[in-house]
Amino acid sequence: MTLQGLWARKRRVIGTATAVVLGVAFLSATLVLGDTLDSSFGAVFRQANAGTDVVVRSATSINTDGGRQRANLDASVVDDVAEVPGVAVAVGEIAGTAQILGSDGSPIGGQGPPTDAGAWIDDPQINPYHVTSGRAPERAGEAVIDAKSASDGGIAVGDTATIRTPDPVEVTVVGLVGFGEKTSLAGATYVGLAPDQAVELLGKAGQVSDVRVRGDGTTSDEALRDAVAEVVPQKAEAITGAELTAEQEKDLQGDFLGFLKYFLLAFAGVALVVATFSIANTFTILSAQRGRESALMRAIGAGRGQVLGIALIEAVVIGAIASAIGLAAGLGLALGLKALLAGFGLDLPGNGLVVEASPMIISFVIGLGATLVAATMPAIRSSRIAPIEALRDAAAESTAVSKIRAAAGLLIGVAGVLVVVTATRTDDGAMVRAGLGSLLVFVAAVTLGPVLARPAAAVVGAPVAGTRGLVGQLARRNAMRNPRRTAGAALALVIGAAVVALFATFGSSLSRSIDDTVSKSFGGDLVVMQDGFSSSGLSPQLARSIDELPEVSETVALSNVVATVDGAEVYPTAGDPKAMANLLDLDVQQGDLGGLPPGEVAITQKYAEAHGLGMGDDLTLAFADGESTTFEVGAVFGVGELLGDMVVNQSDWTPHELRPGNVAVLVGLADGVSLEQGRTAVEQVAEAHGGPKVEDRDQYIDRVAGQVNQLLTLVYGLLVLAILIALIGLANTLSLSIHERSRELGLLRAVGLTRGKLRSMVRWESVITAVVGTVVGLGVGTFLGWGLVRALATQEGFVTFELPAPTLAVVLVLSIGAGVLAAVRPAHRAAKLDVLAAIAEP
Amino acid sequence: MPLATTTQTPDRSAAPHPGGRAVAARTVDAVKVYGTGGTEVRALDGVSVEVPIGTFTAVMGPSGSGKSTLLHCLAGLDTLTSGHVFVGDQELGSLSDRELTRVRRERIGFVFQAFNLLPTLSARENITLPMDLARQKPDAQWLEKVIATVGLEQRLHHRPSELSGGQQQRVAVARALASKPAVVFADEPTGNLDRRSGTEVLSFLREAVDRFGQTVVMVTHDPVAAAYADSVLFLADGRIVDELVEPTASAVLDRMKALGD
Ligand SMILES: Nc1ncnc2c1ncn2[C@@H]1O[C@H](COP(=O)(O)OP(=O)(O)O)[C@@H](O)[C@H]1O
Ligand SMILES: [Mg+2]
Repeated sequence: MTLQGLWARKRRVIGTATAVVLGVAFLSATLVLGDTLDSSFGAVFRQANAGTDVVVRSATSINTDGGRQRANLDASVVDDVAEVPGVAVAVGEIAGTAQILGSDGSPIGGQGPPTDAGAWIDDPQINPYHVTSGRAPERAGEAVIDAKSASDGGIAVGDTATIRTPDPVEVTVVGLVGFGEKTSLAGATYVGLAPDQAVELLGKAGQVSDVRVRGDGTTSDEALRDAVAEVVPQKAEAITGAELTAEQEKDLQGDFLGFLKYFLLAFAGVALVVATFSIANTFTILSAQRGRESALMRAIGAGRGQVLGIALIEAVVIGAIASAIGLAAGLGLALGLKALLAGFGLDLPGNGLVVEASPMIISFVIGLGATLVAATMPAIRSSRIAPIEALRDAAAESTAVSKIRAAAGLLIGVAGVLVVVTATRTDDGAMVRAGLGSLLVFVAAVTLGPVLARPAAAVVGAPVAGTRGLVGQLARRNAMRNPRRTAGAALALVIGAAVVALFATFGSSLSRSIDDTVSKSFGGDLVVMQDGFSSSGLSPQLARSIDELPEVSETVALSNVVATVDGAEVYPTAGDPKAMANLLDLDVQQGDLGGLPPGEVAITQKYAEAHGLGMGDDLTLAFADGESTTFEVGAVFGVGELLGDMVVNQSDWTPHELRPGNVAVLVGLADGVSLEQGRTAVEQVAEAHGGPKVEDRDQYIDRVAGQVNQLLTLVYGLLVLAILIALIGLANTLSLSIHERSRELGLLRAVGLTRGKLRSMVRWESVITAVVGTVVGLGVGTFLGWGLVRALATQEGFVTFELPAPTLAVVLVLSIGAGVLAAVRPAHRAAKLDVLAAIAEP
Repeated sequence: MPLATTTQTPDRSAAPHPGGRAVAARTVDAVKVYGTGGTEVRALDGVSVEVPIGTFTAVMGPSGSGKSTLLHCLAGLDTLTSGHVFVGDQELGSLSDRELTRVRRERIGFVFQAFNLLPTLSARENITLPMDLARQKPDAQWLEKVIATVGLEQRLHHRPSELSGGQQQRVAVARALASKPAVVFADEPTGNLDRRSGTEVLSFLREAVDRFGQTVVMVTHDPVAAAYADSVLFLADGRIVDELVEPTASAVLDRMKALGD
């Protein structure tokens, strides 16, 4: 009986199920992709370390964005290790970075996967790469590159190519290499050089990055590791290849993969919440329409439990089928996402997906659970109706909104707003309190939905009614007639729009703040930046050459320092403090930044306060090479956005610098030199150093401030999914309403409404509902964004609120489009309605 | 027959019939077939009728005899399988859905047995609905007159759910008349009403013909209701089988009994 009922209502059921399918698909795709990436990277690392039984390396390391930084070892270790019994081969590895320029001069890669370079290792088992065409490099000036870079950059064996190490070096490509079956190591670019040139370009004389050891097979890797450990110097360690693989996997987990996974999971979460609301609304309408049916059943003797049971069985069937379809769709989606990643250069070994049982079970259970939760509430409500009441009532659903709901919603809302507004009373915990208040406001919005829906639809519908004639008026009243239903349909959009507005507010405020600070503190005219965050830096020679230009009065070469203070990573900037003080206004509060001598450090006010430091206090930085230096605080400044929390002299950093290179060169032009003259001169110099990008002040500020927005683009892209699900909910609600009102629509057609006008009426109702949801969502989201930005400002002290007006406008326009889109099918069905049949319907 | 006894003839496009009388609507050999093959039903089987302007015609017949079908086809709500329908001199068969909708809106009034009103509109808005749909300004004087005649002045701003069944049907009749249509079709307009409300609605339809020169065609089962009309057409199995002019309730009853045999 239940199943027959379901089949009879299959159109509506399909609508409901679609939301579940999408939610489950996204969730399972995320989980499966995560597993697949884990296992693929695991495979990459295992393969890369397959021939390495033991690795000897410096024991200390510092984590950075681009992976762990580790000090070099003295080259003599290689011979010591080679003599250990059981060791067949010991190779001193020289590893660094080099960016390959394509035949058109543009850099290849460097936008994510590493740009590796190293000394070519002759031992084919230790070397993860193998030559696929040509030969290995034998002398300086010869190189092999990975086959993927070769094809991306249009480079063939025998060609001359330029690599930036960071200074541009010309090499003859004598061979191409592959990694296993693939043309690259998971998208990393690779340059293999003859050992002497590798040391010259990438390393330091008499040092190796680490030692890779292959055993002769007489002992286990662990035993070999222990034997080798006997001879390694202090501050160095020996680990097995398997341990190295495990460590690399773990690092990637915490880093890139972890971020990607949590990011995707957060969106799967939003998608599921939105889906749940959509489903709940559909079930509410369904159970209202079925009110008479179930009342009849109860009148003829079915118990409440039985009526409820039928509804729940229905939900289980829908939930189970939809979740199963969702799983299948999720696998497809995961494949698609993987292909997308491959398109971005992350070419992973192994075809297909790694499908384990647990993500499948989790996704299925969550999909089923969400459906059940969404279905239970309306089912309980409908089973509570006294049979006679439902039989008597002609209207399918009561439109009354309870006063208790209004009062409760108002109370929660006022409380939430108060908490958000007062969150900034004290500094610490402001964010937490603002977040809590935000949650309350959100709950209030959901609770008050049905209360607000009628007035909101009235206001939003007013211009429609005013300009679209009777069709507009009818659309407006239809949107107002059942506020609970309108609220239900709009709620999913409220959530989607609120999240977008929240992110957008945050983004525009951050972006604006950065813009403000940078334009206030940066007094230079030009900036030369390294391109790509995983590329090799700028040659130190570049800054010197620029400084010699007659057009240039001042240059600052900035280097990123990696160090720890009491175990916590810090990222100071090194450079020439005098030039910095000339080009930058960092709001120095104590001491003299320009006169900061070597051995002293300048720190921000914020860092000083957080760590209880003052002028003259000691601050010990531990570097990746295992050395530590104790600095004296010589200046305190206000603006930390540009250079970070600490500034030191380049001369204090150079001895610890593993790979010399600048991240940026700031340039001040001499008096009387026009921006264009200066730019042309600097660009010429830059050209000779691998052609990094030269930006003027405005371009630089735009880009730095725009980076936040770039990140947001990703967020928006994924939020489209939530809005898509919301749309399906809206379309579903409309379809149900159309079905319910078929007599009314038939009557309208009979007295002279054309098909086109009828479609237009449905469309406008949809648009009004969509705009109501979007406007409320944007309002709530912007308010919450404002509250959080304010809280952040109290805590961190630099953010200013900026209304993301363009984004909000775009979302609003999109929502109108979305409303039109959601109405396509319902409007089509309404127009197809047979007038006579509709009127004749009992 | 009280033919166009008033000066107010609302539909001026009505063509004089070859026979000489002005006709508001007519059918010629109207055939309507539902279904095909074994399940084929000839709901109309060659019906030719003429509805003169300014008359009140009742249509009677057993259930399933094709009364509603005839009305729907005359009103442009349904199309014929063969034959012709005219409203005034306009052939409906050649019109597109859009044009038909227009004809319904501008030249035809319709009163159904139930569910005549849009729940979201007030009584007044329901009455002016066809004009509003056509984006035409209602003739204010005419509207006043119609509303006064149905006695709804006090109820104009009520929603249908706040009106009794009789009041709702009176609103429906007012709506059907408000655009001064060529013909008003009413399909059992009193079928759901108690006797008193039914009488009100019927008197009002009669008044519309007598005082305003409107043309009304009404399907009914009730001999008393049929007696309000100028003539009664009897349908059986999709054919006109009889016609009674200047009917009385008892004459109608006698005729019905005769046909029932
Ligand atoms: N849409 C339809 N499909 C099939 N048969 C129909 C349809 N509408 C009416 N009929 C048939 O046509 C005949 C006439 O119907 P109708 O005009 O509604 O009769 P009346 O109004 O006189 O009771 C009946 O036999 C009915 O079953
Ligand atoms: Mg009928």
